[in-house]
Amino acid sequence: MKISTEWLAEYVEIRESPQKLKDDLSMIGLLVEAIEEAEGTSILEVEVTSNRPDCLSHIGIARELAALYDRPLRFPETQETLRIESDRIPFEIEIRDPELCPRYTALVLDGIRVGESPDWMQRRLVAAGMRPLNNIVDITNYVLLEMGHPLHAFDYDILRQARIVVAKARNGEKMYTLDGVERELDADMLLINDGEGPVAIAGVMGGMESEISLSTTRVLLESAYFRPDSIRRTSKKLGLSTESSYRFERGADWNNTVPAAGRVCRLVEQLAGGRIAGNIQDVYPKKKEPVCIELKRENASSLIGVTMEREFIESTLSRLNFKLEENGTDSWSVTCPTYRADMELEADLIEELARFYGYQNIPTTLPPCRNVGRYSPVYKLENTIREILIGLGFNEAINLSFADESDSEEFSTGSDERVGVRNPLTEDMKYMRTVLAPGLVRSVKRNFNMDRRLVRLFEIGKVYRRGPDGTPKERNMLGIIGTGGFTEQNWKQPDASFDFFHMKGTLLTILRGLRIHSYEIEPTDAFRWLNPTDAAVLEIDRKQVGVMGSLSASLEEKYKLRQPAFLAEIEFESLAENAFAPMNFEPLPRYPSSERDISIVVSRDLAYRKIQTCVADIKIAELVKIALVDVYEGDKIPSGKVSLTLRLTFQDRGKTLTVDRVQDFVDTVLSSLYKTYGAELRSK
Amino acid sequence: MSQSIEGLQKRFDEDFAAITDMDTWKSVRDKFLAREGGIITTGMKRLRELPKEERPVFGQAMNRLRSSVEKQLQERYAELKKAAITGGQRHLDVTRPGFPYALGSAHPIKRLQADIEQILVNMGFRLFDLPEVERDYYNFEALNMPPNHPARDEQDTFYFDDTMLLRTHCTSVDVHAMEGLRPPIRAASTGKVYRRDPFDATHSPMFYQVDVVVIDEGITMGDMKGMLEVFLKQVFHSDIKMRLRPGFFPFVEPGAEVDISCIFCNGAGCPTCKQSGWIEILGAGMCHPKVLRMSGIDDSRYTGFAWGMGIDRVPMLKYGVEDIRLLFDNDLRFLEQF
Ligand SMILES: [Zn+2]
Repeated sequence: MKISTEWLAEYVEIRESPQKLKDDLSMIGLLVEAIEEAEGTSILEVEVTSNRPDCLSHIGIARELAALYDRPLRFPETQETLRIESDRIPFEIEIRDPELCPRYTALVLDGIRVGESPDWMQRRLVAAGMRPLNNIVDITNYVLLEMGHPLHAFDYDILRQARIVVAKARNGEKMYTLDGVERELDADMLLINDGEGPVAIAGVMGGMESEISLSTTRVLLESAYFRPDSIRRTSKKLGLSTESSYRFERGADWNNTVPAAGRVCRLVEQLAGGRIAGNIQDVYPKKKEPVCIELKRENASSLIGVTMEREFIESTLSRLNFKLEENGTDSWSVTCPTYRADMELEADLIEELARFYGYQNIPTTLPPCRNVGRYSPVYKLENTIREILIGLGFNEAINLSFADESDSEEFSTGSDERVGVRNPLTEDMKYMRTVLAPGLVRSVKRNFNMDRRLVRLFEIGKVYRRGPDGTPKERNMLGIIGTGGFTEQNWKQPDASFDFFHMKGTLLTILRGLRIHSYEIEPTDAFRWLNPTDAAVLEIDRKQVGVMGSLSASLEEKYKLRQPAFLAEIEFESLAENAFAPMNFEPLPRYPSSERDISIVVSRDLAYRKIQTCVADIKIAELVKIALVDVYEGDKIPSGKVSLTLRLTFQDRGKTLTVDRVQDFVDTVLSSLYKTYGAELRSK
Repeated sequence: MSQSIEGLQKRFDEDFAAITDMDTWKSVRDKFLAREGGIITTGMKRLRELPKEERPVFGQAMNRLRSSVEKQLQERYAELKKAAITGGQRHLDVTRPGFPYALGSAHPIKRLQADIEQILVNMGFRLFDLPEVERDYYNFEALNMPPNHPARDEQDTFYFDDTMLLRTHCTSVDVHAMEGLRPPIRAASTGKVYRRDPFDATHSPMFYQVDVVVIDEGITMGDMKGMLEVFLKQVFHSDIKMRLRPGFFPFVEPGAEVDISCIFCNGAGCPTCKQSGWIEILGAGMCHPKVLRMSGIDDSRYTGFAWGMGIDRVPMLKYGVEDIRLLFDNDLRFLEQF
């Protein structure tokens, strides 16, 4: 709301500088966002919160200042008598829906000369951000900005009958509004009819036909009160927000209809020569009572945290035009001004007291802490994973949670689990993401565009899939992507590319950090977005919790990556069930261990895990570790074969192993591998 | 006896002088100091064969000899080693780059989110990981925003259907906590929230928030101020000042807007704070009695407060990030700076 200080000064004495006004208004809840200097005035840009429609006018702001500075409020000149002896222009008002329109006040003015409004009025309208049109429309707008009450002027001679009928529209009924747009109405919308058809959408906008024109001489002035939720629904449905609907939907003052009409009459008489010709009619089927709230001093003191003195309570609320009636010791029955649409409960009154006591004057205290803090289960998991990945050289990414059509097809896992947003922001945000991979691939691509070819990213976030009951279910996921070198190119060693085993190692390091000791890695070809040659799933307790592999060739080409990218996607909450196994301490061995390397030649189709299992099945208690330290394929061994060098570590917790004993173990391992898989010892 | 020590010393000196490389060094060391058969080692072992009265003197002499031999060998080792490493040069070129171990980075939002969670846990809050896909009831209705409430306008919402939506704030923690816990309550939740705002330099359809709620007997606005001050000083800096202004949020009454003194100009006025010296940082207030009642809290016995803060804004402010989209671009040139 733009408030002109020069205009404001008509209603309350202003001695303060615009800057001081800005500070003072801000501290009572009317944030002044900016001060704009204009000719002869300063414009305060006041942010009025949606609970304070009473402040959407110059008098509204003046009222707050009058209370704050304890100065009298001056009201503008108004027409006291809105009735004349010779009521020349009769008309009728009929409210068919008193729920939605509890009060409708109107009168008719004639002898009007439509023209330009005077300079002073035009300047004030412009200062407040409105465009001057003609004196009649300008006057209604002026009174709106002055008193906060929306008004509407109909050209009386255009009305087909001398009637105002307030009723709901018929479904499909149409009318042209003042802005020249044809509006289709429905049965929830309240209309103003002239007995034959609609002439205005109540509280929102008038009709084009009955608009004030240069030839208008007689005006029917409407000053009404409409129910906020009805106006809001209509305004939303039509996508039409006006100064009028903005105020009605927040709550106007039903007791302001007659004063606002009186003010318009005075200005019309002064500026457009019009006089009352049809007596005011005030149809008010059911009197609305002001809100009355019980206030206890004790409650105010204990909520704010400081003793509220009787005198302070009484003087503050009285200055704000609340009527207090004592109904016990330190207890009042408080009648609220009808313009205060925000008043409902004692807490609302207490806020008034706090506002004027000054939030800055409330003493700062700390309540006793009767709770023990606790992280959510996800916290520890997430932070452990984050620190591990940072240590391994991954940067943390965050992508928007949305996905486009092609994502859900290209990265689908079979069944359509997509969840669509009913009102997406853009076409490429139509769905919620079902996997993290597409966002990570795009992030890699963006970095490629910046000539970064070594990219390692991870993202911890949610994916959203349709649950069995049809509603979206979200799951915490970890996504990882790595591509390019294993380290930055450097002089110490030739460049190694980030490959499948780097990704696998990354995952296993995470599992180690989470103390998950038991898992399986199995080949898979169930993921269309991964190359089937090197895709694998991670299983814990026979449950698939993740997948890893290289981005499929077709997607690699689609995103023009032109280098392999390795991805992993892990379901975080499945990890939670198994993570952080208790730590067990085992006393350190007192005797040295012995290592032996053996190089065996086996078929290259033999999975390494089978060799591991075969050795483990011998159950040599002293064999504490098997490591694969070298892999060789080439001229020196027969084709179709692979040479594996295993490092076996032996340890006896009770004594030092003799050379002969260790050799016995090695021979046992070798003969078992030979018997099971024909593994030959590789000759030097 | 003393002659034999002198003889030993002489034999060592001759051999020592003949050391030219690591191999000869090793053979000299083994000749004199090997555990099995080293000349000095064996000599020490033979101490026992001497008459008792001669042992101390001879023993001390042998010990002296051994430590002098060890010391000479150690020095010679270092000389040989240095020559081997540098190939005769005086120094390795230590100015060449070290090995480029990779080190990643936490996203600034996530780092701050984790920091905030830690601060809150230390302040006695229980943290909840709450759904982003939320019921209208938890996001709006139970927070005193019935359908057609004007405040819903300020939070343009993504919907899935008539009841399910993407939460527009983390304030749903108020309702979940009140439904699931009994006072005294200190609950908090952080995470992504969504508003149907166009993606531009100052708006994002997705951002991060933290919301907290405290409910107990006798909780006052003063308590809210105190807890806020502790929180904000930990998040920002212990020197910041805090200011509360009346504000409006449908789920609190009285409501407050909370400013902190500008972290760039310390309140003197600068472009970031639009010369005001203050930066609007969060919304707070005393839990609305209707909200308490709707979630089954006896509002005649308990009071409480709640606050909510945007997390993204903090790194943007702290580091002067002017375009919010940078936070979600995952550009390494950006991420690597944190
Ligand atoms: Zn500043």
